[in-house]
Parts: sequence; C-alpha cells; structure tokens
Amino acid sequence: MDFNDPMLALSSWIGQIGDFGLDLVWRFIHIVVTLWHIVSGIFESVESYAISLGLIQKYSSIDIEKLKCLAVVVDIEAARDVSKVIELLQWLTTIGVKQVGLFDSQGLLKKSKDMILEMVPRSVLLQETGEKHISPDRIALEFISSSDNKEAVVKAANILLEKYLKSIHPENGVGENVFTESHLNEALRVVGESVHVPDLLLVYGPVRSHLGFPAWRLRYTEIVHMGSLKYMRYGSLLKAIHKFTGVRQNYGV
Amino acid sequence: MVSLFSVVLTFIAIILIPGLFISRRLSVPFSIRNILRFIKLAASQNDDEEERNEKRGTMGEKEKRGGLPKHVAIILDGNRRWAQKRGVGTSDGHKAGARRVIENAKDCFAMGINTVSLFAFSTENWARPEDEVNGLMSLFEENFRSELPFFQRDKIKISVIGNRTKIPQSLLGLIRETEEATKSYEGKHLILAIDYSGKFDILQACKSLAEKAKNGVIQVEDIDESVIDKELMTNCSEFPNPDLLIRTSGEQRISNFFLWQSAYTELYFPNVLWPDFGEAEYLQALTWYQQRLRRFGRRV
Repeated sequence: MDFNDPMLALSSWIGQIGDFGLDLVWRFIHIVVTLWHIVSGIFESVESYAISLGLIQKYSSIDIEKLKCLAVVVDIEAARDVSKVIELLQWLTTIGVKQVGLFDSQGLLKKSKDMILEMVPRSVLLQETGEKHISPDRIALEFISSSDNKEAVVKAANILLEKYLKSIHPENGVGENVFTESHLNEALRVVGESVHVPDLLLVYGPVRSHLGFPAWRLRYTEIVHMGSLKYMRYGSLLKAIHKFTGVRQNYGV
Repeated sequence: MVSLFSVVLTFIAIILIPGLFISRRLSVPFSIRNILRFIKLAASQNDDEEERNEKRGTMGEKEKRGGLPKHVAIILDGNRRWAQKRGVGTSDGHKAGARRVIENAKDCFAMGINTVSLFAFSTENWARPEDEVNGLMSLFEENFRSELPFFQRDKIKISVIGNRTKIPQSLLGLIRETEEATKSYEGKHLILAIDYSGKFDILQACKSLAEKAKNGVIQVEDIDESVIDKELMTNCSEFPNPDLLIRTSGEQRISNFFLWQSAYTELYFPNVLWPDFGEAEYLQALTWYQQRLRRFGRRV
C-alpha cells in the first residue's frame, strides 16, 4: 500500500506533465498553421497585385469570347455599397465582358439600376438591347432578384397550366404536352424573364451559396466564390475568369 | 555522434510528438496523410476566422453557427478520372465509386445526418457509351441486391428519384423491392437520384399540378412556390432542401442537380475524386459547413 501511493502520485504527475507538454505542442502547431496562413495570404495578395500590374504573362491575354454571359451574386449586405458594385462593373468592362447579370436576393441593385447605368461607362440595359444586339464597345447589364427565381417559374407554370387545360380534348380528356423545357423557356420569356444561362457565376459575400439565383438558368454554370465584395481584388477577378476559360465541361457525357 | 543524436531528437520533437498528439486527440490512425489533413483543416478554420471577424465588424451581430446539416447532397464526380489515373478501366472506377457510396452513407448516418442524397446518374449520362451505361445499370442492380440486408439491418430508408421510363425492368423491380422493404424506417434516409434532372423535376411538378387542376383538386390561382415544393421528387424527404451540397473532383457546377432545392444550399467543391472521398474528407466538409453563416437571403 505504501509503495502504491507514491507510484500513483508519480504517474499522475507524469500524466500532468505529459498533458502540459502536449498542450504546448498543440499551441506550437497552431502558431505554425497561423503563420502558414499569413504567408499564403500575403502570397495571394502579392500574386493578385502582380496580375493587376500585368506582370504574370498568362493573365495578360484572356480568351474572353468564351465568357458570353457572366453573373454576379452579391450578398444583401454588400449590395448596400453600390460604389463597390460599380467598381466591379468597371473592372469587368475593362476586361471585356459583354453581358453581366447582377443578382441580390432583395432587389437592392434593381432599385439602384439607374445610378449604376449612369456610373458604368458604355453600359446598357440588357432588356432594351436584347442578347444578340449588344455593340462590341458596350456592356449589357441585367438586374435580377429572388422574384425572378421561383416566383417567375410559378407564373410561367401557371401559363402552361392554363394552356394545358384549354387544350384538353373532351373525348379522351388528354391535353397537349406543354411541359417541356422549351415550353417553359417560352413561358418565362412571356413573363419577362431571361432564360440565358450564365457561363460563370461569381459569388461575393460570406456564404458559399448562389443565394436564390434563378434556378432554371444554373444548369451548367461554373460557380466561384470570391469572398467579400469590400475586399475584392482585380487580380482575383482576372484569375477567376482566366481559370474559367480553361475549364472543359463534358455536360454529363 | 552528438549531432546525430540532436537530429534524432529534433525529428522526435517536430514530427513524432505532434503526430502522436493529433492521432490521440482525433482518434485516427497515426499516418502522415491524417496529419496533413489535420493541418489543412486547421488552416481552413483560420480562413473562416477572417470572414467571421469581418462580418462582426460590419454587422456587429452575434454569429449563428449551425450544427450538423440535416440533408447532405453529393454529386459523385471523378470515377472515370480516378480510373484513368490508375490505369484501370472505367468500370473499375465506377465500382470503386459504388463502394465509396456505401462507406460514406454509413459515415454520414453515424455522424447524425438525417438525409443523404446522391446524384448517381443524370439524364445527360444516357449519352455516354452504351457499354458504360449498361455497366452502370448492372452495378446499380448488383448493389441494390447486395446492400438490401445492410439497409434493413441499419434501418435506412431508401428512395430513388428520377425519370423511371428508361430504367431497365430488372433494375426497376429491385428499386421497388428496396423502397417497399425500407419505407417504414425513419431517421436515416438515403435518396438515390437515377436518371434525375433538376429541370425535369420542375417540369414533372408542373405536370402533376396540371393533372390535379384538371381533376379539380386544386385551382390554378392557388399555385405558388410552396405548392410546387410539395410536388417535387424530394417531397419523399422530411428535409427536401439540402443544407450542404458536395461535388467532388474540383468541378464547380451543380450540373442540373436540385436546381430548385439548392437556393440557400452551401456549396462545397473539394478537389478529391469521388472514390477517394473518405471519412477524413467528409469530416473536413462538415467542419467547413459548421463555420458558415447562413442567412437564407435575409438580413440577420
């Protein structure tokens, strides 16, 4: 018994020292990881500035023809700062993007539409020009909100339902098959919606989600999370677009 | 001799002790791979720390940190590339992917996820070479047959969603049998999307409502978003909208999966190919998810 008590105390003491030592090692690892993160953040910032200054060759020429339609999703908090949205659009104009859809769930950017069109040089409203008639020196903007998503599909669905009910033959009770993709596309156009599928969707905000962007248009869209709009970088934007131009889709085949 | 001794001690201090510590703390086998995964995980937590701090500064509100997702959707991408990397046939890649499906389902449910949806075969996949498509259908049959005892033992409800008109009769029979055998189970739901298309899902919901309107069950003017929600194929689930959508292999698209349902779904695009997406990768996805702030489009 006398021998066991000191042994128990010793093993407890060794255990405590061991835990303390491991705790120190844990904190050391945290320091290492934090430093690694700081270094990689610095590297990314430097790379972004180098891209902005045109120092990295591969980002100097981008095959922008591949990017026919770009969509930008902005978190509602970020959408309140219209100046940053305008700056982003000016960058996109510089890069040569021809068509941009701007989305925020609450429609704040729709309300600031006139100001944005005024402040972004050579910008036009997509609804006025149509997708096929955009001048080479212009950028066509489309303003989208959540009402253009499920609400629009419901309206389009109601059009199809009415059409179906009217087409029912009294003899056999069978109606025309109007529930196809092309019919729904047509119905969406009737309710004033675009059905053009963006090639690339950039998400600005803390959440990695498309935040209710029109579902019908998202089938093969590349979705890239860009981080905060407040801290957006031209180099990161260029890098995302360049990466997109290198993507090869097989469309499920 | 002294310098060799100091090299050995340094090795022990820097590599072995942290490795043992991480293994002990996380209850995972001691391996370089697991240690590297842990480091990546800690680094990604720091990345999210920055976003959280920024959000506190601008909004001044308390964060909402979610628990585990109720519904996880996974696009199983990368089987063919996995096979190509290893110099084996495409069918071997799909077999490896199928084994991973069962393993991951077990992991998901063990972690408390209620619903797991897997995009196993899209409408566009019918355009693949005939032997590959036939191979996939055979693989589905084989797995439904062999895994039914496991589903029954672990009380996992199985639902298959998609357009069933092109599916071979033999497979259809097995699907019906499996769904019937597991329909009463609750708490764990595995949804397999076979010949599924998000656009088709929306259209079939409209068609279903048209039939109801024709029969007088519903008025056209009463049709709204919630009514369409209930007609979608995911109405078989208690949690029809996924909280987290994972697409493996680094592709950053949802490719016609859950278009309507994914409005506020967190999107996670790891580079790992599907047959390599194991428990550690899944833990990483869940940890990443838990760092997110979800506002569902509203101002908090």
